[in-house]
Order: sequence, then C-alpha cells, then structure tokens
Amino acid sequence: MLGFLGTAGIVAGLIGYLLLVVRSIRVARTGNRKGSLAAPVQMILAGSVIAMVALVVALVTDDFSISYVANHHASTTPFPFNVASAWGALEGSIVLWGLVLSIFTWIVFRKYRQTPDSLGAGALAVMGIVGVFFFGLMVTVSNPFEVCVLAAERSCLTSSPWPFATVQAPIEGAGPNPLLQNHYMMAIHPPILYTGYVGLTVPFAYAISALALKVPGPEWIYRSHRSTLVAWSFLTAGIVLGGWWAYEVLSWGGYWAWDPVENASLMPWLVATAFLHSAIVQQRRNMLQAWNFILVISMFSLTILGTFLTRSGTINSVHSFTQSAIGPALLGFLVLVLVGSFSLFATRSHLVSSAPRMRSLVSREGAFLANNLILTLYAFVVLVGTTYPLFLEAFTGTQVGVGGPFYNRLALPLTFTLLLVMGIGPITPWGSAEPAMLWRRLRLPVVIALIAGVLVALFITRNGWVVLACVMGAFVVGTLAGLLIEQARARENRTDESLGRAVAHVVKGDKAFWAGQLSHVGVVVVAIGIAFASNLALHDVVVLEPGDSVSFAGFELIYESPFQIEEPQRTVRGARITVLREGDLVANMEPTANFYANDGAGIVTPAVLTRPRGDLYLSLRNFDSASITLALDTSPLVWLLWVGGLTAAAGGFLALGSRRTERKSANRRLTADV
Amino acid sequence: MNGRALKIGALTVAAAAIVFSVVLASRFGRDPGLVESPLLGQPAPMFELEMLDGSGTFDMADLNGSIVVINFFASWCLECRSEHADLVATSDAFADRNVRFVQIGYQENPTSTLAYLQDAGISQSTIYLQDEGSRAAIGYGVFGIPETFFIDESGTVVGKIIGEADALILGATIDSIIAGETPGQQKTGDTQQRPDS
Amino acid sequence: MSEKSKNLAVGVVVAILAILLASLVISQPANDDRVQQIGASIKCPVCQGESIADSPASMAVDMMGLVEQRVDEGATNEEIIDELMGSFTGAVLLDPPVSGATLLLWIVPLLALILGVVAIAWWKTHPPEESGGDVPTPEHRSNRRLVGGLIVIGGLAIIIGVATLLIQDGTGATSGAAETGAEILAGNLDDVSNETMEAVIAANLDNAEIDGMRLALAERYFELGDYRSGFPHFLAVAQSPIATDDQATIALVRLGWMAYDGNGEVDTATELLDQALEISPDSPVALYVKGQVLWCGAGDTATASALFEEILTQVELPEDTRSRVQADLNLAGTGAACT
Repeated sequence: MLGFLGTAGIVAGLIGYLLLVVRSIRVARTGNRKGSLAAPVQMILAGSVIAMVALVVALVTDDFSISYVANHHASTTPFPFNVASAWGALEGSIVLWGLVLSIFTWIVFRKYRQTPDSLGAGALAVMGIVGVFFFGLMVTVSNPFEVCVLAAERSCLTSSPWPFATVQAPIEGAGPNPLLQNHYMMAIHPPILYTGYVGLTVPFAYAISALALKVPGPEWIYRSHRSTLVAWSFLTAGIVLGGWWAYEVLSWGGYWAWDPVENASLMPWLVATAFLHSAIVQQRRNMLQAWNFILVISMFSLTILGTFLTRSGTINSVHSFTQSAIGPALLGFLVLVLVGSFSLFATRSHLVSSAPRMRSLVSREGAFLANNLILTLYAFVVLVGTTYPLFLEAFTGTQVGVGGPFYNRLALPLTFTLLLVMGIGPITPWGSAEPAMLWRRLRLPVVIALIAGVLVALFITRNGWVVLACVMGAFVVGTLAGLLIEQARARENRTDESLGRAVAHVVKGDKAFWAGQLSHVGVVVVAIGIAFASNLALHDVVVLEPGDSVSFAGFELIYESPFQIEEPQRTVRGARITVLREGDLVANMEPTANFYANDGAGIVTPAVLTRPRGDLYLSLRNFDSASITLALDTSPLVWLLWVGGLTAAAGGFLALGSRRTERKSANRRLTADV
Repeated sequence: MNGRALKIGALTVAAAAIVFSVVLASRFGRDPGLVESPLLGQPAPMFELEMLDGSGTFDMADLNGSIVVINFFASWCLECRSEHADLVATSDAFADRNVRFVQIGYQENPTSTLAYLQDAGISQSTIYLQDEGSRAAIGYGVFGIPETFFIDESGTVVGKIIGEADALILGATIDSIIAGETPGQQKTGDTQQRPDS
Repeated sequence: MSEKSKNLAVGVVVAILAILLASLVISQPANDDRVQQIGASIKCPVCQGESIADSPASMAVDMMGLVEQRVDEGATNEEIIDELMGSFTGAVLLDPPVSGATLLLWIVPLLALILGVVAIAWWKTHPPEESGGDVPTPEHRSNRRLVGGLIVIGGLAIIIGVATLLIQDGTGATSGAAETGAEILAGNLDDVSNETMEAVIAANLDNAEIDGMRLALAERYFELGDYRSGFPHFLAVAQSPIATDDQATIALVRLGWMAYDGNGEVDTATELLDQALEISPDSPVALYVKGQVLWCGAGDTATASALFEEILTQVELPEDTRSRVQADLNLAGTGAACT
C-alpha cells in the first residue's frame, strides 16, 4: 500500500515536472500565460510530499515489504533515527532531494506569478528539467519504493519496482548504518545541507533562463542573488552542522578531514560566496555580468559533481553511498549541465560582455574582485585536490593520496588573504579610493590588531598561526567597528541622536550590508576557532583500570567503573569517568562503544565536555574487562566554530529580509551613476 | 571581456567538461579502495614474530628457499572464517611440495585468535604467528583482511589475494608459482577492518 | 596634531608593535615533534581521510608506534615515509611531495592564480568593442544552433552513459568474486596440480559436487600407478550418492582393476566390476576390464572371450578400442595366457 502510494507520488512528480517543462517553455517563448503552470506545480508538490510521507510512514510503521525499509531500518531503531533513515541511504536521500527541489520550484512559481516578465517561466522550465532528471532517477535506477520479492532473514535480496508484485517481506530489517544512528544531528544536518545544495538550482535556473531568453539585464541577477543567499545560508549551516556531527560522532576529535564528501559541499559554498559578492558589483556598477553567469553555472555544476562524487562510488569516503547505476546517470547529467550551459553561454557571449570597466583596483569593486579571485581559486584548489588522484590513476596508473596537509598548506595563505580583503573591502569606497583616505580608516584597526596580537602572544600563546588569526580577526572587527562608529557619529552630529540610537539607525538603514558584515564576523570567529583548536590542542592516550586517575590539561580524571546498557537496537558499553578540577567535581563523563545488531564492529562515541575555554574530549580506544584505553583531547575554543558558522548563516538569513530595499536604492544609484 | 574571447573560453570549458567526465567515467566498476600492492616483485619483508601460542619466536627468514604463503586473519573477520578450511586443506596438501603456510593474527589479542583457531581447525604444517604492534601487517601494507601474500623460492613477493580465497585459487596460485609464473594481485571479495574499541 | 604627524606616530607604533609581535612569535620554539609531523602526513589505511596521528583505529596506533620507533632509531622523515609507501603505495600519503607525479598538483593552483591575475589585468584594460552589444546573427539561426548543440550534447551524454555501463560490464568479471572451486569442477583441470585438487577436495568434503574433481585426480594417480593415492578418491566417488552413472561406473572399474592388479584379489575385483555393470550394463570399459580380470586372474578364457565379443557388438566403439579388443579376443580365443 505504502509502496503503491510512494510510487504514485514519484510518478506524479515526474509527470508534473514533464508537464512543467513543456508548458513553461511555451509560456517563456510566447509570453502567453494562458496555459496554467499551477496544475503541474501542484502536482509536483503533492507528488513529492506524498513520496516523502509514504517513505517516512513506511519507516515508522516498520513496513519491511518495501525493500528500502528492509535494508536500512530495523523495528528497534528509535526516533528520530527511524525518520532520519529516510535520507540515510542513497534512494531515500534522492526523495528528500526531490522534495526540496519541488518546494523551491513552488517558490519560483509564486515569484513567477508576481512578475510580468517571462524570466520566471524560463527558470521554471530549467527547474523542470532538473526535476525530470531527479524524479526520473527515482522512477528508474534509484526507486526507494521497490517492494521486496525475495527476502533474507534481515534484509531484502531482490526487489521489484512493480508495486503489485507478490511481496515477500523479511520479519526484521537490517537497520541503518550505525554511524548514522548515533547522534540526533543526523536528523537535521542532511535536510539543511540538501536545502542549501538544492537551493543553488534556483539561481542557476534564473541564469539559464536569462541566457536562453536573451534578457541578461539586472532582473536575473537580483533574483539569483536573493535565491543564492537563501541557499548559501542553508549550505553554511549545513556544513557547520556536518562538522559538528563529525566532531561529536566520529571519535577522532576533528571536525573537518578534507574528505571528498566534505569537499563536495565546500566547493559550491566557496563559489556561491564568490557570487554573493560579485552579484553586488553587477547590481551596483553593472560590471562582471559574464563572470556572474560563469559563477552561477559553476556553482550548480559543482553541486551535481559533488552529488556524483558522493553517490557514484568512484571515490572512497566515509560518507559515500555504495556504488550503483546512479553514477553514470549523474555523470551524464553533469555533462549535460556543463556542456549545455556553457554552449548556451557561448552563443550569448556578445550579450553578456558588459561595457563598464573599473577605474581603479583600489576600490570596493577592486576588493570584490580580489575576493572573487581568492574564493574561486580556493574552490579550484579543492577541486584539483579532490580529483587529481582520479586523473593521475586514469592516465598513469599511479596512486597518490591528497589530504589535509596539501589543502592546509594552500588554504592557509588563501584564508589569510581573504581575511585581509574582508577587513579592507567594506571600508573602501566604490569607484576609486584615495589612498590617504583609506589609510586614515585603516590605521586605527591596524594598531588595534597589532595590540591584540601582542596581547595574545604575551598572555595566551606564541603560536604563530593563532597570533596571526587573532591579528586578522581583530583587524576585520576593528575596521567594521570603525566604519559603524564613523557612520553613527556622522548621523549623531546630523540628528542629535544618542550614539546607541544612531548605531541602530545606521544598521537599519543598510540592513543587507550589515547583515553581510555579521557573516564576516562569523567567518572571523570560525577562523580563530580553527586556529586555536588545531594548534593548541593537547592529546594523550592512557590505559586505566577502575579506580585509576590521571591528570590531563588541568583536569583530574578518575575511571570509576565500566558499565553496560542493553537497548533494543544496540548494546552500549562504556566507562564512567569523574572529572575534577582543583578538587571540585566538574562533570561525570561516559565515553561509550555502541554495538548494533547489523554491525559487529561497534561504534565508538566520544564524551564531550564543553567549557568556555575549550572542550574536554574523551573517546575509548580499547575496552576489556580489566582496563580501558582512553584517548584524551582538549579542543580549545572549538565551540567558536559552531557559533561562528551559525552566525555566518544567520547573517545570510538577515540579509534576506532587506534585499528589496537595497535593490531599490541600488537602482537609484545605478541610474544616478549613468 | 569581449564576446569572442568569452565564446572561445566557454566552449573550451565545455570541451574540458567532456574530457573530465570521460576520466570520471573510467572509474565506474572499479573499486576505489583497491590498491595495487607495491610489494609485488619486491623482496618480501621478513619478520621475526612470536608464535601464536607463545611457544617462542619464529623468524620468517628461516623459510627462505620455500614457497611461502602468508595470510593475515582474525577471529572477528567473517571472510577469514569462511576461507579457513581451505587454507588448512591447501597447507596440508602442499606440505610435501616445499610450500609453507604462515598465518599471522591481525589486530587481535593472541588469546582470542588462538581460541578461535582451536575451534576452526589447525594445519600441522602451517606456522601460526602473532603480530605484536602490527609490524608485519604494516610491512605488508595490509588494508583489511583477509589478505594473502605469495612468496616464491627466491623470497620475492609474486602474488596477493585480497578477500576470501578458496583451495582452488590458493592451489592454482601456488601451482603457477611452482611453474615459475608470477600470479600477481587478485581481488576475490571484500575485506574487513578491525572493529574499534 | 596635523594629519602628517599623526600618520608618522601611527607608523612608528605599527612598526614597533609589528617587530615586537614578530619577535614573540619567532622566539616560539618550532614544533619539532617529528613523530606527529610524519603521522600527520600518512593516511590511516583502514580509515577514511584521517591521518594516523588523528585516527583512533588500532592499526593507526600501531603505525604511530612504528614511526616512533624508527624516529628513535634515527631514521629521517623521508626514509620513514618511503618505507611506509613501500608497503602501502602513495595512496596513504596525505601530503603529496612537490615532485614527480604530484608536482603538477602544486603547479596547477599556481598557474590558476597567475591566469586569474592576468585575466583581471586584461579585462580591466580591454573594454568590448562598441559593436559588441549588437546581435550579429539572426535570432532563428542562433536558436537553431542552440537546439543542435543541445542535441549533440544529449547524444554525447547518452554515449558516455552507455560506454560506462559497458566498461562496468567489462571490468565486472575481474573485480567480481572469483569462481569457487566447486564451480569449475566440471571445467578444465589440466593446469591444476594434484596438490591443489587434494586441497580443494579436502576443503569441500561437504560439497557433493566435488566428484568430478575427485575422479580427475584419482585418474591421474591411477595413470601414474599410484593406486594408494587414487584408491580413497575412487572409493569416495563410487560411494557418492550423487555421482553420475558414468562417474560411478568408472570409479568401480578402476577399483576393480586396482584390486586385481594391486592386490591380486580376483573375487573382489569381479564383484566390483559386476557392480559397475549393474549400473552401466553396456560399458565397454567395465566389460573389457572384467574380461581381462577373468582371463588373466582366473584363466577363464571362455567368459573373457564372451565379454570381448559383447563389446565388439557395440556400434559406437572407437576404432583403436575395437582393434585392441579384437586383438585380445583373438588371443583369448586360442586359449593363450593373457599378456
């Protein structure tokens, strides 16, 4: 029954998207809106929701007649992991993907109804093509609603896409991947990340629509900018939560391993960040039109590439799904997107080469250009690092690994240059900046930054990277504070308001700008957090017997006793550890190893004690009746990463609230410039 | 940027995308984790290891001049369990042909390995060793078990089987080594990694 | 204070602070924990992406132990890394060297940076020609070209898809699970040594389909005259409940011959051969061997001749068999002793 419902949902989605493509192309070509797009959009939305609901209900009700449920769920899987299993494996993740895509399609449709031009219709056609592809995948090679026709004891061996096939369901399912049922973050991280990922389809759709309809004017850039902002905010939050999840679950004390899957989400994020900035340049100065098209196309292509890398089984990764026929399909789609978009772009190249050139590189647009150069170079480095081993092996048969040290070495100079530009950019005026005036604005922040650096070096650490990160952070925050105070003072003098009120008015007056600066502060906080956590961490491994104690990083840890808890879906074995500081009880920590029925290996779950100065991180390395081997880590200020990352995302969401007002003022300015 | 440069650039990107995709496509059907052992054709690393039952040490260099089959195994490895009978049988069958089997416990407490062996069966002609600190496993570059290495009479690594082996594959590999061939690397199935904790 | 003296003052402060900061940072002893350095550049072989310094996996811990030992022994970083690469390949290297196969990896980003800077410089100084804003081609033509291009691309995508599927099929055989012993029992065993067959049989005792290989192995021993090695296999086939009639017949015939030829037990031999003939009454081999046993062992030339004649009545007899039986028949008919 649920299998039938779900299949009906994805088939309805596919038909809806096909209809949408046909009808919206007609509308875009003729401008005649008579053929309603509402019906296909409703059909798409209904189909996607039905499919998702059917899958979740099948999981929650332990309907093992559906092979996806049989292979990725067990009746003992508790909430919220039973729901999260809906996107914990390949086929289900595509259903979520489809649902998010449909929601974005609906949003684009609403926008289309509010505007008279045909840009929206063209964009809907592009969304439709993407939707046809993903729903086509679900109907063919990646159908999550196949019913089980031959069951093993705890899994399904053979399944059939025909919902009325004779069902043979296993009595119990295999259960989800243990790593994915170990932390509640699994329930929220993928949907947020997917929203970011899929959201990047919208700016792409507008860009292709603008190219195809030959309307590369300002309208597409406004809509693409705004929709990128939505996607970017979710993507930022998704990446941060992913790092947090890794930190809390993977038991090695890290949050980022330059794993291909992490890289796959970082690349579009970097390009989207570049686009968020260069879109402003086009809106303000009518420059970089062609470049913006390139960025948006790259951004979307990188999401498809990332999806391919994580779902085709061609790259080894902790998060990658197993190999399936979906790989060639995604690769074909990637080729279609890249070749199609760039060929279309080539045929429109004469339309998009915008005339204005910048007067001086020492200007706001110059800073944006530097920002774009660094960010795209950054994305390129990650792309090269991720794919280089594939190329080398394909051409020479030599195997090489490319990992953390490579990326760190290139990312560090890029990041610090970026922070420098981040500090200088916002205080640099448009057009061309007087060096003397720039220096006047910079000198105080430079002094503040250096003083901050000296203080850090004297009282906290003399580690060069940490000091440099603090100097750059203080510089960025200093320039921003200086700018805010300068503008508030001017307003104060003008209006006789108190400084506090003036600051509030200044921020309200250009909310988008200051929201962007909030994101900058978030990035600075992340940079400082990374510098501290990766340079000043302490690490030790100890063997303890019950009653033993050990001193570590100012803490006294006492191993009280082992314990074991039987839960329906797993056995939890752990160690009770009392943590004292200067004789006072700080916490009781319980690092555990969890053993799941479908995986004899067991998953180690660390215990994390978060304190303002940093985390105490305990994970079990070995566990037997007599003793435990315990890995001890401190991660100084690691919480800055989560706070900073989520602040950056919040900046993106806040900027959304005011994009329209900025657009009007930008229009005014643009006409005034001309 | 003027239009023509853009056009050429865009078409170049499109062409590059096709090349890129073809390279990616060449990866399909390949196991991304499969690594060709660099030991093949090289002198075999020899270790002096403790016997599994703790009855002394054994220097693998003493086997020079014999064909040596080195198998890494553990009781937690399902594939190892299912290939065990074949290893015992092959070791017995080739005992008179100057072929020696060495089975090295991998990432496991020797007591557990020994208990498992006593249950699973022991070949009188096989040498069972423990690997303190994984020195042998590191020396042989073991990614996961079971992995089985074949060393010819001159002490050169000439073959490797990744995954579960059976008597026919083991025997045929030894046959070809006796015949003076180098069988090379072969993957028969999945390998397992040690459950941690 | 004038703007100029303000700038000067700030300049001096900045310079002092910068020097102070630099000296503070530089005076920090460099991280010379070589074990950690090496560990950070080697990927844990049983993990994904983590270095052996980071990974809690026991293999990684052991590898760190080895690195520590080698550092203590005085090995250089390069030596230790080369040793590990000698066992695990470059795939475990997280930090690719700026040389050899990975030189390009470091050069490409640099080239991209240079290209980016050059492109910006070029862009800044080269505004498009004034005619650039016009539409040089008629609209329908460019549209048609677009559609054509998209069709070509779609075709390419399909070709790549199909090609990759084909590649997948091609490589599937090599990367897939190898045939098990039982699967190729019926296949060509010429290249398989006796020991291998023994091993396969020993490992597959519970596999009833092993009879083919047993028989092949036993035949080898039989031909070499090694009755002792062949006997248990012939016996096993003869007793196998699922052996084919042909297999059981040949096993019984061989057992019969070995009983006579090896032990001189004519009665046992006859009994076994009769069992064979019960299964396959027309088997020329069984008839012939029984004749031989009766003739040579019991001197019963009459029965032997009768059996030989019975063979010769069969139509589908290979020519050399026919001539051999004929020769024996002629000899036995004269009442001569067997040879």
